[in-house]
Amino acid sequence: MKHGKLTPYLFVLPTIFGLLVFRLGPTAVAAYASFTRWNVRTPPEFLALGNYVELVNTETFWLVFRNTLLFTVIFVPGVMIISLLMAMMVNQKLRGIAFFRGLYFMPYITAMVAVAMVWRWIFATRFGVLNYALTNFLQVADPPAWLADKTWALPSLAIVAVWKQVGFQMLIFLAGLQSVPGSLYEAASIDGASKRQQFFKITLPLLSPITFFIFVITVIDAFKTFEVTFTMTGGGPNNASTTLAYYIYQNAFTFGRMGYASALAMFLMLIVGVTTFISFRMKDRLVEYAL
Amino acid sequence: MKPLKIFLVLLILAFLLAACGGSQAVEEPAVEEPAVEEPAAEEPATEEPAAEEPATEEPAAAEPMDEEITMRYFMWDPSFEETEQIMVDKFMAEHPNVTIDFQTIGTPDYWTKLEALSAANDLPCVFNMSAGFVDQWISDGLLYDIQPYVDADINPDDYYTGVFDVVRDKNSGDMYAFPFAFVETVLFYNKDAFDAAGVPYPTEGWTWAEFLDAAQKLTKDDNSDGVIDQYGFWFYGRYAHIESWVYQNNGRFLNENKTRFAADDNAIEALSFLDSLIHEYGVAPEPKEMEGIRQQDVFPLGLAAMWVDGAWNINGNRENIGDQFNWGIAPIPRGPQATGDAAYGWPDSMAIAATCEHPDLAWEFINFMTGPERTIDLTFGGKIPIYKPVALSEEFLEKDQQPDNKEFLLEWANYTGPTTFTPGWGEWRGYTDGAGLEGRLGEVFNGESDLDTAVNSITEHANGVLERYYP
Repeated sequence: MKHGKLTPYLFVLPTIFGLLVFRLGPTAVAAYASFTRWNVRTPPEFLALGNYVELVNTETFWLVFRNTLLFTVIFVPGVMIISLLMAMMVNQKLRGIAFFRGLYFMPYITAMVAVAMVWRWIFATRFGVLNYALTNFLQVADPPAWLADKTWALPSLAIVAVWKQVGFQMLIFLAGLQSVPGSLYEAASIDGASKRQQFFKITLPLLSPITFFIFVITVIDAFKTFEVTFTMTGGGPNNASTTLAYYIYQNAFTFGRMGYASALAMFLMLIVGVTTFISFRMKDRLVEYAL
Repeated sequence: MKPLKIFLVLLILAFLLAACGGSQAVEEPAVEEPAVEEPAAEEPATEEPAAEEPATEEPAAAEPMDEEITMRYFMWDPSFEETEQIMVDKFMAEHPNVTIDFQTIGTPDYWTKLEALSAANDLPCVFNMSAGFVDQWISDGLLYDIQPYVDADINPDDYYTGVFDVVRDKNSGDMYAFPFAFVETVLFYNKDAFDAAGVPYPTEGWTWAEFLDAAQKLTKDDNSDGVIDQYGFWFYGRYAHIESWVYQNNGRFLNENKTRFAADDNAIEALSFLDSLIHEYGVAPEPKEMEGIRQQDVFPLGLAAMWVDGAWNINGNRENIGDQFNWGIAPIPRGPQATGDAAYGWPDSMAIAATCEHPDLAWEFINFMTGPERTIDLTFGGKIPIYKPVALSEEFLEKDQQPDNKEFLLEWANYTGPTTFTPGWGEWRGYTDGAGLEGRLGEVFNGESDLDTAVNSITEHANGVLERYYP
């Protein structure tokens, strides 16, 4: 295999080209746009830090930021814990287990619009399945209005988002679980370790690189959440379920404020960047690559 | 692992297929075109329209007749798609060289879509334009000046020209869209429920006190389980639900120039009356109780005996209610500060994009869609056609269908008063996102906030938006 010095660069060129044109280019434009007032139809007007000043002084922005954090706090642990439990369940050697693996993966590949239709019906105040069950089986006198309730709208969305996302993370955990050598468990049980001890002393530590990876992508998923909000509540009631990515979309495409939306996007990039940076700094302490 | 692998391969295939499907869908109209246009050879296009209105034909004649033209037309109401398709087909039959690529998109997504297309410089040639967005679109230079066409082709005696002002540029006075119908809000009421409760039907000059009294008698818990089965009335923060009451109490949300939000006492009185219907008298539900039911279905389902919304819902009501109960329409009840009736109404229009390559043809299309060709069976239920001979015809009253008092629509249109439409209306009113004024009122009506707080908050928010347009 002889090749010139250029050959490897030629191979990576298409990817670099794609990244430049479709990622870095737009990011740079957005960075510039964040300093302008721009409705896309007319040329941008330079505002310096105007958008950023407005942003920190707007109540709605802080509400949306809080919503994003709350969503993340429910979504990330929800997805990680449930997907790990599910991965352990479907890692058993049972007949037809592949069927269940496929089943749990289904929500992830189901179109969000279809999912939203069903869940909106489940959450409906008067004729919803959930409230029907609550009032008739659990005797709850005054069940919440879920998606139309200021307090419950966001947690309800987070629940749906977890339900939809969890299959994907399960798959990665499953791959991780299957790479743990069976001999370790055998040795542990000979030494008298309980299942519980095996889980905490063998499974979890060996899974930690995978767990770290899942943590990072799940946090990014949480910050980027859009589809669920768009299809189920549209950010309502009164922005109670609006999260950053959706707020960016609204400003850019329904209010015609590309400049302000770009400033919001820069802010989102900043918090995603900082979170990821911190995670990577903590990695060395938390992740074990071998026992 | 093998089944898993197969599953993944299938998954990737599914994604690829989905991607291909998407691009095919986009290209489809282009593929269909030749088939539709074939008849062009057989029939010279100009003849038929020329017979009706010679004046109109001048611009059209300028287009070479054998040139095949495809023009996109976007409309915002999917429930009228079939009717509209008949009109589009009629136009295409008269213009064999023209293909109208007709699409409907429901609101408010319609506006997001148009907004994106305008940014991409890819607007359809002809599209529906609302009174709420027209000022904004004119000032952004997105619409084509149709004044010369109107001057040449429109006989003012045949049209309700009073509403043309809404679509004029406030500086030049030129028209940038052409109204096709006039719409207004009305009170829908369930006649069967009124009969059962022994309440007389709403009349003109009905006061809030009389309305409240009726609503109380109409609110019923049939099986005494603590859940109201039929409310007297229902509403939420929606513009059609709220402004109707404000104007009937001689109230205003905006200052005189419509440059700032400044709700006056009469407007606040209307809002607090509406809130009292929920929290003091219990004759209307908190809006969140109706979550999961489309707003236009609450009245047809019999969950509320009265409902205030646009008269354009007449068509939907006919379909959804069918023979289940009898219903009628009436004016919005008058508030204590009312000095006369003030209807909340505005024209719905069709506009040509500034970027349209065939403005002559586009205008011909609009003129066709809004004129005598739109016979009564092809009009939009509760909307009053802009073309007088059709609106004033006996058939418009549709005596064989509900409601049996459509003449009321024509009369009520005479009392049209102010609107809240401004540039940025969709944003501060919360029309597109359910926040803004709509969302803040929603919190009040849901019992999560008090009216004073909400009014302060909306004043700050709305003026923040309006200041961007009127510094």
